[in-house]
Amino acid sequence: MAPFLTKPRLWLCVSFILSASVVRAQTITGTVRSAQDNQLLPGVTVQVKGTSRGTTTDAQGTYRLSGIHPQDSLVFSYIGFNSQTVPAGTGSRVDVRLTAAASSLNQVVVIGYGTAKKSDLTGAVAQLDASQYETQPMTQLTDMLTGTVAGININQGTSASGGNSFMEVRGQTSLNASNAPMIVLDGSIFNGSLADINPSDVKTIDILKDASSAAIYGARASNGVIMITTKTGRKGPPTIRFRAEVGMNEAAHAYKPYDARQYMQFKMDLLKGWGTGFPNYYFDNPDKLPEGVTLDQWRHVSANPLPNNTEEWLNRLRFFPTEINNYLAGKTTDWYDQVMQRGIKQNYDISVSGGSDKASYYWSGGYTHNEGIITGDKFSAIRTRLNLDYKVARWMDVGMNTQFAHRDLGAVPVNLDDMYRASPYGSIYDSTGHLKFYTNGYPGSPNPFLNPYNQQISKQENDLFATLYANIDLPFGIKYKLSFQPHYIFGHDYNFWPSATTLMGSVTHTNGFGSRKQTREYDWILDNIIHWNKTVGAHNFDVTLLYSSEEHRYWLDSTTNENFAPNENLGYDALQFGINPSLYNNDTRATGDAMMARLNYSFMDRYLVTLSVRRDGYSAFGQKNPTATFPAAAVAWKISDEKFFHLDWVNSLKLRFSWGVNGNRDIGAYSALAQISSNLYYDGANTVVGVYNNSLANPNLAWERTASFNYGLDATLLHDRLSVSANYYRMKTTDLLMKRILPAITGFKSITSNLGEVDNQGFELTVTSTNLQHANFSWRSNFVFSLNRNKIRHLFGDYESVVKDGKTITREVPDYTNKWFPGQAIDRIWDYRITGIWQLDEADQAAVYNMVPGDYKGEDVNHDSSYQALDDKQFIGYTTPQFRLGLRNEFTLFQNLSVVLFIRADLGQMTVFPNALHDETSEYDRRNITPAPDYWTPDHPSNEYPRLLVNNVAYGGGLKIYKPSSFVRIQDLIVSYHVPSYLTDKAHLSNLRVYASVRNLYAFTNWPGWDPESGNKPMPRTYTLGLSFSL
Amino acid sequence: MKRSIYISFTLLLVLGITSCNKSWLEPDPLSILTPQNVYVDKAGFESLLISMRKNLKKEMYENRNPIAGEVAASDLAIPIFQIDFRKLTPNSDKFWKYLTFYTTAYQCIKDANVAISRIDDITWDQEQDRNRILAEALWHRAYWYYRLVNSYGDVPWIGQEVQDAKLDFQTYSRWTILDKIESDLDYAVQWLPVSAPAGAITQGAGNMLLAKVSLANTDFDKAIEAATDVINGPYALMKDRFGAYGDDPAYNVIWDLHRPQNINIAQNKETILATVDRYEAPPGAKSAGTYSMRLYNSAFYNAVAKDSQGKHGTIDAGGEYDSLGRGNADVRLDPFYEYEVWAFGDQRWNHTTDLRRSDINWTDLDEIYYNNPESVNYGEPLNPKWFASLLDTLQANYAMPTYITYVPQQSTGTPYGGNGDWYIYRLAGTYLIRAEAEFWKGEKALAADDINAVRQRAHALPITADQVTIDFIFDERARELFAEAPRHSELVRASYIMAKLNVGGYSLNNFSKKNYYFDRVMARNIFYKQPLTFYANTIFMSPYNALWPVPSDVITANTLGRINQNEGYDGAERNAPPVTDPIQ
Repeated sequence: MAPFLTKPRLWLCVSFILSASVVRAQTITGTVRSAQDNQLLPGVTVQVKGTSRGTTTDAQGTYRLSGIHPQDSLVFSYIGFNSQTVPAGTGSRVDVRLTAAASSLNQVVVIGYGTAKKSDLTGAVAQLDASQYETQPMTQLTDMLTGTVAGININQGTSASGGNSFMEVRGQTSLNASNAPMIVLDGSIFNGSLADINPSDVKTIDILKDASSAAIYGARASNGVIMITTKTGRKGPPTIRFRAEVGMNEAAHAYKPYDARQYMQFKMDLLKGWGTGFPNYYFDNPDKLPEGVTLDQWRHVSANPLPNNTEEWLNRLRFFPTEINNYLAGKTTDWYDQVMQRGIKQNYDISVSGGSDKASYYWSGGYTHNEGIITGDKFSAIRTRLNLDYKVARWMDVGMNTQFAHRDLGAVPVNLDDMYRASPYGSIYDSTGHLKFYTNGYPGSPNPFLNPYNQQISKQENDLFATLYANIDLPFGIKYKLSFQPHYIFGHDYNFWPSATTLMGSVTHTNGFGSRKQTREYDWILDNIIHWNKTVGAHNFDVTLLYSSEEHRYWLDSTTNENFAPNENLGYDALQFGINPSLYNNDTRATGDAMMARLNYSFMDRYLVTLSVRRDGYSAFGQKNPTATFPAAAVAWKISDEKFFHLDWVNSLKLRFSWGVNGNRDIGAYSALAQISSNLYYDGANTVVGVYNNSLANPNLAWERTASFNYGLDATLLHDRLSVSANYYRMKTTDLLMKRILPAITGFKSITSNLGEVDNQGFELTVTSTNLQHANFSWRSNFVFSLNRNKIRHLFGDYESVVKDGKTITREVPDYTNKWFPGQAIDRIWDYRITGIWQLDEADQAAVYNMVPGDYKGEDVNHDSSYQALDDKQFIGYTTPQFRLGLRNEFTLFQNLSVVLFIRADLGQMTVFPNALHDETSEYDRRNITPAPDYWTPDHPSNEYPRLLVNNVAYGGGLKIYKPSSFVRIQDLIVSYHVPSYLTDKAHLSNLRVYASVRNLYAFTNWPGWDPESGNKPMPRTYTLGLSFSL
Repeated sequence: MKRSIYISFTLLLVLGITSCNKSWLEPDPLSILTPQNVYVDKAGFESLLISMRKNLKKEMYENRNPIAGEVAASDLAIPIFQIDFRKLTPNSDKFWKYLTFYTTAYQCIKDANVAISRIDDITWDQEQDRNRILAEALWHRAYWYYRLVNSYGDVPWIGQEVQDAKLDFQTYSRWTILDKIESDLDYAVQWLPVSAPAGAITQGAGNMLLAKVSLANTDFDKAIEAATDVINGPYALMKDRFGAYGDDPAYNVIWDLHRPQNINIAQNKETILATVDRYEAPPGAKSAGTYSMRLYNSAFYNAVAKDSQGKHGTIDAGGEYDSLGRGNADVRLDPFYEYEVWAFGDQRWNHTTDLRRSDINWTDLDEIYYNNPESVNYGEPLNPKWFASLLDTLQANYAMPTYITYVPQQSTGTPYGGNGDWYIYRLAGTYLIRAEAEFWKGEKALAADDINAVRQRAHALPITADQVTIDFIFDERARELFAEAPRHSELVRASYIMAKLNVGGYSLNNFSKKNYYFDRVMARNIFYKQPLTFYANTIFMSPYNALWPVPSDVITANTLGRINQNEGYDGAERNAPPVTDPIQ
């Protein structure tokens, strides 16, 4: 650290001495870069302080100013960046790095079929600048969004392929249709996987949160829209950028299986509680018998004890021969150690960009290889992108944005259930060194490594997505854009389970089992867009018209075969050598069309209005309602531009209001149709096909509609050092697409219907501040806060009369099966309130409920001495976070060293903890179980977790145990160092940056399982080292 | 200007190509069949019948299947892992299918209703095709309702295809449903074919079901008439050796009768209806296996079978393991079925002429050997006195009717009981149904004749008319129809008859508190007489357990109507009176 401390001081001393002496004016040159991503900034204003003399930087970000005296100061200013004043000094070169301003009102934001200046927005749009995340290692771009944007809720994925396990914008509007937001990539609707987009190609991510801004995507926008813009070339010589990252994944928190000692204890406690007719000491270790019990007594409880006491004891504990041998040999297996691994993570990116007056280009290639934290889990991807734009004529430019991704998903991770079931006294290998099928000899506990080691798999996905466009200038200032977006996805999933080494190939099937599945998807969208912008005096009109059509096609071919002869050597490459083939095809086709009109109108650049309407058609809906219309309107008032507004500390203030209707069409292509399934039957001579109805038709099926209001405020304060954006919204979803549960006696589980109403309201706050800004130290932070409350207003529209608190009331009939209640939140937990565990002195009370001490004690609401399905369940919490917070701090020291610390909190939710209900099974005497933490025994009377053989059938409606899963997480810690250019120039490198990061460093939580965010799966913690530079 | 005309033209052209035409938004189902394109001809309806025939296989294949569950909840056995019937609640049946059978049966009813409701939607070339298909669909619907009313009592009646969200089902009286299916079967037997391929429904199967339904409905004359039609039909009790093993002098005709490969062959004249389940069928067309060895046989290979040195005397490998299978004693046979029921006159289980208890047909305790070559007692019979506790014999050591349970595993997998055909109706069962109807009519001599027809074929001693009691009839059913007829249901059927006729002190008013089923189970099944605890369950049964609970999710999902819960289970206090109006 020392050189960095001394260098500025030295520089100050020198300038002080020099300024005191008289030195004649000289010429100063230098470059201006962005501190964020070290890009050269063209067009930066450089001014001599207190004078009108100045210049701007050229395309290469360099400037030249002559006649500068050492005592002069230079002011560097640029839109979107904080101005910086630097003493000229006596040197001939002054290089400057500008930091981005907290307020970025002039930032260009993508609004769908166009762009707008952020200051002109009328809707609620959040923008994420991907350059801020360049030092954060990512497998998928959703890694940028976890907790960082108010109102977008994403849970981190846990597998090697990364991604998210859940994503929604604002709240849950739909009960059954998807709540995932729509993705728009470079202006085109993208139906593919986010995994196919290389995060390092991304320039910005805009999230359209309110109805007005999303309404232009009408039919599919009710869950919000995520708009991704990729990088393009800039005019100038080619820039080559390279990045390499290596890292390591490990489990952030361990939820270990019982080790040898705990396993013994579990066996003893289990069998003592089992009612075997033997005294408890029968199962005790002969070396540690309870007081008053002699070894002889112990031995002779058994009619026929073995001579060796230890062997006799292990027999009593129902150890298998393998277990006994291993116990006597002192051999144990640490299954956690064997199954969980430290996975290596690698990521390499290269890109080339540049352009001329007429053309620009951007090309990139990236390779990611990621090993998960469970043995067998791995993922790799190759992703490439080519963005081209060429000005064919003065009035026309054509271009394309194309990406291709190849993902290798061929991984067979260990099934963690097998890890938990394995006995610590079992063996992985037999005496010949082969994997044992059953580690302790019991078929209920298969070897966790059988499939990961022996299943042959090839699973790949390829995705080609292109936007081909032409922009044409028409007379009268009209612009026409024709855009065609083909999207081709092809993938396969081939598997083979050999008979000698897998259970699937030998026990489940005979002489090997293989499957081949091939999928192809072809989508296209054709957009015709007309754009017209006109200013008449103080009035500005901006009109967008769209006509679009689309088709989605999908083909699936699936084959399986078994019983291979003469041998299985060819695996999945030659399924024809089996004798029991089966095949399955599933092709689908869906079509849609859309028309949209939008007007953005502004008066005196201060009063802003947006009006839009979109009509959508989609083939999946019942033929009575194939189309729907979605209107929207929004107004904004830049109050700070008014003459009467005089507040020095407020730089800008804008009020926004919007209303709009969006749709959701996310159901299967044939949901409105009754479907028939086939039933293969063999009558002794021939194989014949039977049929049966497996779904009900609903010709009236229609769009789900969400109408929402958004009240917003954007302000910049304290000389742009503080920027605040706040939104309050109310959303009302009607005609919900849902699977209405039917009584199972109809032969159907459900019917896809439009029913009910769900309301959401919420508040979002984003505060961006520059807390400290010194030449050698700056501290900027970004704080986001959001909450969402939803409520089911109506469900089926059926009413019933019930007696509640002595009065007869009429209320809407709830859906008990799905646990949906009118007047309550969708994620409201309705279950028994557990007050503890029945203790020994409560045996009589427990017996009333057919329970015994050690079982769960619940609240009997109606005091009728039974736990009824309907009367005794209560509302006991919520499954989704009630508050979400994120705080990102970025510290920059000496302009070269930056530290990012991101802390995130999800608060107020509960999650099912299945391990609390290790209820009785007939297998526990033969295998290990998923750890039941702190379980009740007569000697260890827990009041939180029940006995091993807990009886919960007394809970007539079925019992689930919820535990709080709130957490505060240090999610990212990143340290990056930008190597000064005087060290790298000689090597012709620029922007050399090295960085180190940790993701999921630590979580503060009371959750008893693996991880509060992933619930009952292990969450990875990732350490990464990275390096990037340009040529 | 010229340029702008050109551009405008292009624009119009592009818009024109993609402009909406009416058919653009029509759904285009590519890989799915819909009712509109299937139920349009005879072939579509025949395909529905295929599904209905396959549905019958839900009864007796795979682990813990309904028929095995029926035996386990009877006087012949206990459901070893669920011996505490207090734990059978509207929400949980743990390991068995006492709850889920309810919805399984209704799924099968759904398939029949589709054919019944749509039968006149098309024009039939041959009226007899329509009538035959309708007859078979009515038979299938009646079959499942017969099973429902004898497992759950009063249940909802669904007589039509459900085409939209229906949530106002009501419970119908069991007797009303019996009336309806009895009249449906009256129609069906006129049109069902005399002979049909294996697994398809014949007139004989129609009359057999009609006999059972009429008997349950206390319509004894009709039961006798229908059963007589079967007996006079193209069937005969098999008295001579036949089929596979037919030449092997070690075995007898009873063994031949129960070999899966003999069930559907032409020589077997006794089969009225049997399922078809063959290993050589493609995946999807065969079951996971009968599981007969898993369900009914003992876990003799278990580590609790200790030898004289206290070591593991048995292992799960070798020939004995392959032929007895990986038994789990899920249906733990009781001493009544193993021994007491075979006592007649001076004959006992171990010295009887009854072929159904002959040495070759059973694997008795002295025939289960220590099969661990490392044991000093290798080759000797299992000796319970060397076990740590007598309780260990509960799962690991008891006598087994291997002539019924032996279905070798054809695959290389665990020997649970492989693929094989299984009886649904057999002429011997018809005789016993007729005997029961005759008994209720007081025609004891005729009843004795019918019972003796069955007994004599098995070389059992004949009985006299005054020996005929309802208990004897059910003893005979146990001897003849084990793992074949739904034991619990048949007992419930008789319980209802006795309650309705007010014999034996039974009545319909207090059926949930006192019934023949419960009394007979308590009297015969010794396990219920002692406080047996196994796998943390203490054996317990109440009279109300004669009827199984209705799944609570069916009741709660039916938001606009009231489906009744059976008395004794949580939720029964909300019951409404069952519908008794005759069903059209």
